Order: sequence, then C-alpha cells, then structure tokens
Amino acid sequence: MSTVNASKKIEGIAANSSSTAVAARRSAQQRKRSILLGRVALFILVVGGWQLTTAFGILDPFFFGSPSGIVLRLWDWFQHGTAYGSLWEQIWVTLEESLLGFALGVASGVVLGVLLGESQYLAEVIGPYIKIVNALPRIVLGSVLVMWLGLGMPSKVVLAAILVFFVVFFNAFQGVRNVDRNLVANSRILGASRLQIVWHVIFPSAMTWIIASLHVALGFSIIGAIVGEFLGAQRGLGLVIATAQNTFDANGVFGAMLIIGVVALSAEALMAILEKRLLSWQPPSSHDGDVPGV
Amino acid sequence: MAEILAGQGSVQFTRVTKRFPTRDGVEKTVLRDVNLVIEPGMFCAVVGPTGCGKSTTLTLAAGLYRPSEGTVRVSGREVDGITQGTSFVFQSDALMPWKSILKNVALGPTFSGVPKQQALEEARGWLRTVGLAGFENYYPYQLSGGMRKRVSMAAALINKPSMLLMDEPFSALDVQTRAIMSNELLALWEKTRPSVLFVTHDLEEAIALADRVVVMTAGPATVKAVFDIDLPRPRGQVQDIRFQPRFLDLYQQIWESLREEVAQAYSRSPAALKQQGAAA
Repeated sequence: MSTVNASKKIEGIAANSSSTAVAARRSAQQRKRSILLGRVALFILVVGGWQLTTAFGILDPFFFGSPSGIVLRLWDWFQHGTAYGSLWEQIWVTLEESLLGFALGVASGVVLGVLLGESQYLAEVIGPYIKIVNALPRIVLGSVLVMWLGLGMPSKVVLAAILVFFVVFFNAFQGVRNVDRNLVANSRILGASRLQIVWHVIFPSAMTWIIASLHVALGFSIIGAIVGEFLGAQRGLGLVIATAQNTFDANGVFGAMLIIGVVALSAEALMAILEKRLLSWQPPSSHDGDVPGV
Repeated sequence: MAEILAGQGSVQFTRVTKRFPTRDGVEKTVLRDVNLVIEPGMFCAVVGPTGCGKSTTLTLAAGLYRPSEGTVRVSGREVDGITQGTSFVFQSDALMPWKSILKNVALGPTFSGVPKQQALEEARGWLRTVGLAGFENYYPYQLSGGMRKRVSMAAALINKPSMLLMDEPFSALDVQTRAIMSNELLALWEKTRPSVLFVTHDLEEAIALADRVVVMTAGPATVKAVFDIDLPRPRGQVQDIRFQPRFLDLYQQIWESLREEVAQAYSRSPAALKQQGAAA
C-alpha cells in the first residue's frame, strides 16, 4: 500500500499513516458518491412524477404543463425564436437590464451608505426618509417608472437599481458603523487624512458587509428587471412570461422560469468567485464546504 | 526644566481634568487634576486599578481628545489636534485584517505621502528588525498573537516617533510571550529612544521596563505617587531582573501605594457589590 502511495508522489505522509489516509479518502469519496446519487434520485422522482401524472391525466397538462412539454417549448424557442425575436435576444435584454440596475444600485448604495455612516448629521437628517421609502412595497414603483420612462430599457434598469440600492445601502451603512474604532484612531495618529481613513479603513472594513449583501442584491436586480418587463415592455424574458400567461401556455411560463433560473445561478457562481477573491484576507471558515470529514 | 520640556517627546500634564458625557446626560469625571511630567527619551509606566482612566491619559497625549480643564503639552507645544510625532500601540493589535502585514507596517509612511515603493521598502526593513522577515505577505490572521504584536510595534516605530504611547500592549498575550515581547520592546526602545508612556496594570512589568512609575488612584484617576526606578540600564532579561533585591524593594514600596487603590476599585465593582448584598 505504502509503495503505491510513494509512486503517486504523495508527500509528507509517513508510511504507517498512509493507509489510514487512504481509508479516510475512500470513505469521503463514498460519501460524495452517495450524495450525488441521492440528488439524481430526487430529481428523477420529482420530474418523473410530474411527467407521469400529467401523462396519465391525473394533473391537467394544460394548466400544469409537463417536463417534456417544457423541453419542446424551449426547443421551439431556440429554433424559431419567440414572438419578439430570438430567445437569445430576450435573455440578453433582461441580463443587460439587471446588470445595469445592479451596477447602478450597488454604486449608489455604497456611496450613500458610506456617506451616511460617516456623517452623523446626514444620517439623522436623511435616515428617517430612507426608512419610510424602504417600508413601501417598491415593486409598485415599477408602474410609476413605466409611466415616466416608457416601455424601453430605462424603466427596468431603474426599478432593478432601486431594489438593489436598499439592500446594499443598509449593509454599507451598518458596515461603516461597525468599523473598529481602534483602527480609525490608530490611522489618525499615524497621520491619515479623513479621505485616507475612508479609503484605507472604512471602505475595506465595510466591504465585508457590502459583499455579503451582493448575493441578495443580484437576485433583486433580476427580479426588478423581470417585474419591470412584466408591467410593460417590448422585449425581455418578463415579457415572454407575460405573453405565455396570457395565452395559457403553462409550458412557456415554466420554460422561461427555467431560463431565468439558469441565468441567475450562473450569475451567482460568478459572484461567488468574485467574493472569494475580494475576501481572501479572511481566515477560511467552516462553511468552505466539500472538505472531507466536515 | 523649561528647556527639557521643550525637547522632542517630552510630555507635560498640568492640572488636567477630563469628563466624558454619559448616555443619561450626566458627565462622568475620568481624570481629575492630573499633573505629570515625562522628560524626552524617558520610559514612563502608569499603573493603577483596572478601569480607573489610565488609558485616557494616552488618548489626551495623542490628541484624540481635548482635556476638559488644564493643558497637555507634548514636545513643548500644547496639544490641539492629533499630536505630531507620536505612535500608539493598542491592547488589540489594531492591524487591518485585509492588508498583508507588509502593507500594514507601511501605512505610516503611506499616509504621509511617501512613494509606495519606498514605503514598502522601509516596512520590509522594519519587519526584519522585529524578526519577521519572510512573513511579509501573510495576513494578520495567519500569525500568532506575539507575532502580531511585533507587527504593531514595527508599524508604530516606522514613523520614528518621538513619543510612543502604549495601552496595555501585552496584556492579551500569554506569560512567556509577554516576557519575550518586553525584552524586544526594551531592545527596540534602546535603539530609537522615543519617550514612552506605557499604561499597564501589571506592576512587575512596569518596574522591569520603566524609568519612572506613576501610580494612579481609583477613578476618577489622579496621580497618587511617582517612583523613580533606579535599576541600571540596559536592564537585560526582564525575567531575571525581578529577582534582584532592589527590584523587590521597589516592588514592595510601590505595591504598598497601589494596594489601597486596587482594594477601593474592587469594592466598587459589580462583583463586590453583589457579595456585599448577599452578606447583608
């Protein structure tokens, strides 16, 4: 056993402990395999069950759609496009709206959050108003925005930005308030100007909080874009869903949902990579999954 | 006397009182009528019961706060902003966790506008001085408490302060590490000779390190007694010096003065009040 390991150039493992290491690795692999198996089984159970119940007429496929119907619908969209042009175009439009809204919301949220966190006066003057606006159901703003900005892209971008803004703003504000006062005092004594303190201490310190909010914010930006399109648009996935709903095309609604899900998950994955890079200075925590034995 | 007190790094507290507003609007007196003189290049330790307001003297000397009454002069100038030429070592490390230790040490020169490369070069030199060459790119969380303390000292000394303010810098360390850090602090101090205002509640540490030990009363704190420590320098290992007869002698004297204050501070603490309540 140990010679096999040595030939595999596993370094730093003493010969007598290598067999236990191999055993541990094997049991970890086994665990992983069984988890994967469970996931696949669950998927087959739910999707297969859906397909069967609709096939045997227990559920009406007209209202509930069916997995095969969704696949066919998606295939059709990819082949022939939707009523508003190619499917890729709809995806791109929605993505563009959410990303622009996300960028706008994050930028304004961070700037205002840091500003209010730093200035007691501003916080006390503006704070109550932000709380009031935050208490309103902001989705309704979408209607107003469509009236103001029309059916084009700006109304969706602004709605997404508003949704994102509040999430990021509150986190940035809280982050600034939680800055270690010793760090600020020390920087002042070392000769930092107010701007240098914001740049070197306040901002990076609040960054942990801001980054934590970005996951939620990203989801909100997609919601904002889709709802905006729902309320009135000429292109985009929200419009595709609205049209499918109006024509009682259940498969179309589910199909568009699936696409949005895939888009959101990929965006989330990119965000996770970004987060890991930005927070590389933090000690690795226990939620860094996939460690054997955890 | 006046000449000495105009020198770089001298500190002079004249009838200093400091009150802080509390949450219910009443002012709490933390320091009362403090008179204190530290000559340039002197190592002065301030001891007193916990929570008596020792640290406030440091923040006043640093210029983080203004006295409510009286004046604080550093290097002959009345303190009216952040005091120039001082550095502070906190009980916590006060290192930025998102910067490598090299960049942490380089903060001082960076803030004062030294070009980046030069600042990093200086920081590298200081890390070498405190024995951390090879750790430049580590983040603070990757180092032990003692190593982080060395980084803090390097970050404080890189600005070549004429006055070093230390607020119980070693109290979070274990006993062995604390002794090692004390030795290293003395070695660094003897190289650069800033005046030091060192707040601690550990009397042994105070005597082993300082030229002068100031005993403060239980809060509101004022200076109770001042002792000059005539142990010869260089002091050598702080672990050894505490067995010298003169050390024990001084310890006895100062402890005599400090004991009452510690007892008084304890009698006011919540734990003691609870006991009294139980007895009654």
